[in-house]
Amino acid sequence: MSRFESATNISTSRDTGPLVTSHTASLEARLKEAMLEIAELRARDGLKTQFLANISHDLRTPLTAVITHAEILRDGILGDLTPRQLESVRGIISGGRQLLNQVGEILTYARGSANQLTLVPTRFHLREVLEQVSALNESLLKKKRLSLAVDAESDLPPVIADREKIAHVVGNLLGNAIDFTPPGGRVWLHAARADGEERPSLRVEVGDTGVGIASEHHDLIFREFAQVDSTASRPHHGTGLGLTIARRLVELHQGRIWVESELGAGSRFHFTVPLEAPVD
Amino acid sequence: MTGALRLLLESAGYYVSTAASITIALDISSADPPALALLDLTLPDGDGLSLVEPLHVAGCKTVVALTGHDDDDTRQRCLTAGCADVLVKPVPTRELLARTKAWLD
Repeated sequence: MSRFESATNISTSRDTGPLVTSHTASLEARLKEAMLEIAELRARDGLKTQFLANISHDLRTPLTAVITHAEILRDGILGDLTPRQLESVRGIISGGRQLLNQVGEILTYARGSANQLTLVPTRFHLREVLEQVSALNESLLKKKRLSLAVDAESDLPPVIADREKIAHVVGNLLGNAIDFTPPGGRVWLHAARADGEERPSLRVEVGDTGVGIASEHHDLIFREFAQVDSTASRPHHGTGLGLTIARRLVELHQGRIWVESELGAGSRFHFTVPLEAPVD
Repeated sequence: MTGALRLLLESAGYYVSTAASITIALDISSADPPALALLDLTLPDGDGLSLVEPLHVAGCKTVVALTGHDDDDTRQRCLTAGCADVLVKPVPTRELLARTKAWLD
């Protein structure tokens, strides 16, 4: 570089000094504005979440009344029904219970978003939870002629975790497996030791021979309100929150959740549960 | 919900009183203490569990909590407050009738 060029550069930099200062001040002002906007959006999001939690809770009360009234009719407490009336009343009960479950899912999601979910850890064997959840889904499996295999590696130690929340995760994953597997297919629940985790953990696999998920959607499905393919999803009910809730409950335990799947080749969802639940 | 439960229990031959608030429940139970109280936790004038002790003092032997919250925290809170049992709504009608019979026997 020549002496002249060097001098020119210095003089340019001296001239732009005030410009840079003013630009920095303007950027700082914009940053401040953006921060305020973020804070406001967060506050609004918080209000929306609280509203969702309140409305879900309030929906439960009338829904419960609808179901109980329908059960009173079904049980013939107010007199015998004809077979067709009975069928119709059973439809009200089954639809009502489905709706109640979905409202419950929204409530769990809203509480999770507002960080209002806490762990109540107890000591239990994962196998018990797998068996409990599979028993709850027996009639659905039968209806779709799906076979279910439940097994656990021998000598698995118990975990200290929130049993109800782990059952919720397994329930959501099994529900999806049943929903997305055509009649005659296979579904399985398997518990084993998890290798390579930071903390000693067990791993649960929920697998199926269903429609599968393309690899580009593997992250998307754990996001809020996502159902991958609207055509494929159409016959499947749900809030689209099942996997988001599953991920949140697993992460509350400081575990991981992921999927292995290919379109048309079934899915295997895995999640880990540390042997001991994290202390707050 | 109270309407449905009243219908169910009256059809099974029980005498039923309903109260829509803590204040009304206290009035009814002090005048004529029930043998069994089914208690909702969320009441317009406060926490339903605050009724457990006054109900016991008034002479009600069994207080059972009815709640929409299916979690261990709520269950523990109800049992600690003195409830004999905790039922999650909607309680299947046959189960409620069978349990009511057992509590009152």
